Amino acid sequence: MNEQVLYKQYMETVFNYFRHFIELSREEFDAISPYFEIRKFDKRTKVLKIGETDNYFNIIMKGIARKYLMVKKKEVTIQLSTEGHMIHSELSFNLQQPSDCIIETIEPVTFLSMSYDNIQLIYQKFPKTEKLGRMIITEMFIKKDQRDFKQLNRTTRERFLEYMQNHPDMLQRVPQKYLASYLNIKPETFSRLKHLLRLRKTVPAKDN
Amino acid sequence: MQNLYEYINRFTNVTEQEFEQISRMLETVHCEKKHILTHRGQVEKYLYIIRKGLVRKFFYKNKEEMITQLAKEDDLVCSSVSFLSQQPSEYIVETLEPCSLLAISYDNLQRLYATGYHMERMGRLITLDWLLQKEAWEHERLQHDPRERFIRFMNENGDFVQRVQQKYLASYLNMKPETFSRYKHLLRN
Repeated sequence: MNEQVLYKQYMETVFNYFRHFIELSREEFDAISPYFEIRKFDKRTKVLKIGETDNYFNIIMKGIARKYLMVKKKEVTIQLSTEGHMIHSELSFNLQQPSDCIIETIEPVTFLSMSYDNIQLIYQKFPKTEKLGRMIITEMFIKKDQRDFKQLNRTTRERFLEYMQNHPDMLQRVPQKYLASYLNIKPETFSRLKHLLRLRKTVPAKDN
Repeated sequence: MQNLYEYINRFTNVTEQEFEQISRMLETVHCEKKHILTHRGQVEKYLYIIRKGLVRKFFYKNKEEMITQLAKEDDLVCSSVSFLSQQPSEYIVETLEPCSLLAISYDNLQRLYATGYHMERMGRLITLDWLLQKEAWEHERLQHDPRERFIRFMNENGDFVQRVQQKYLASYLNMKPETFSRYKHLLRN
């Protein structure tokens, strides 16, 4: 798709997303939109490294990125994000401190990004964005809590099935080891659980 | 009230007038220990600030209690997702000691936000602080094995851990009570 068309389409999505939280006129949004910038990365590129301060809040326009921690030389994936979702190091970005995690692209990625300084500027210049910011943070909090809750409250099998049902294309787009790590499932167990996806397709047929 | 004033000013400088406005919206709650502030399935109506006492937040995994928060003086506590979304709570909030709490209702908080951008800003920064605490705790849990987590937690929360039953501390650190007991010798060395 033409870059310009994609950009316009995305700004429209962002406009609607914002209006979901606050009243915002087209003129007001047009005043904010120049503060966004487009950033492009190849696949398997580290967008943020450990020790760097995260300067950008990103919305993914195209591609997939993940966030992970290094735990005793092993990677632990804590976020997998696709088109329309946000990714940044919450701690490093908001506290402007060195990051303890890595953000890396899986596919080539196009971000719609806003820098830390520009976000602060927008809060000052357009005070009604205070509410917008609060609502977006609230939504992030709720999602994070729900994920934590599922990690503790669901069995491995339930976590696997629920995630695969809600994200059917991820198995094709993301290496299995990242999915397994994100779901906190051993790679061997993950492979074994995959047969459940085939079973699910055949079971309803029998019922009919 | 001094503590609350300091707490809010960590995020944004409020005027005396604004602080009075906030204070007027707070209710004082006294309750015994083992009092359930929020039941499972109930919509969380209040956000509490602890003036005195201890509170825990937990849910049942089958029949096992899983503690996700242990809150003490000056901490905020409530069934946060239920409070923010006004959906039924998955969690139970219960006092562990007799408590003196300040409470602000969801409706009053919305009224406060509606008074101006400055209150919105305060709300944004406090909600962000909640989010960052959650994120930091997730990283802590993932980056350290149970043994390290035990040592770090016990060293950073000296007085507090004396007040909480071991089985609750073990649950909060997501380890079996036996493992918790076994680790205790690490503190003496």
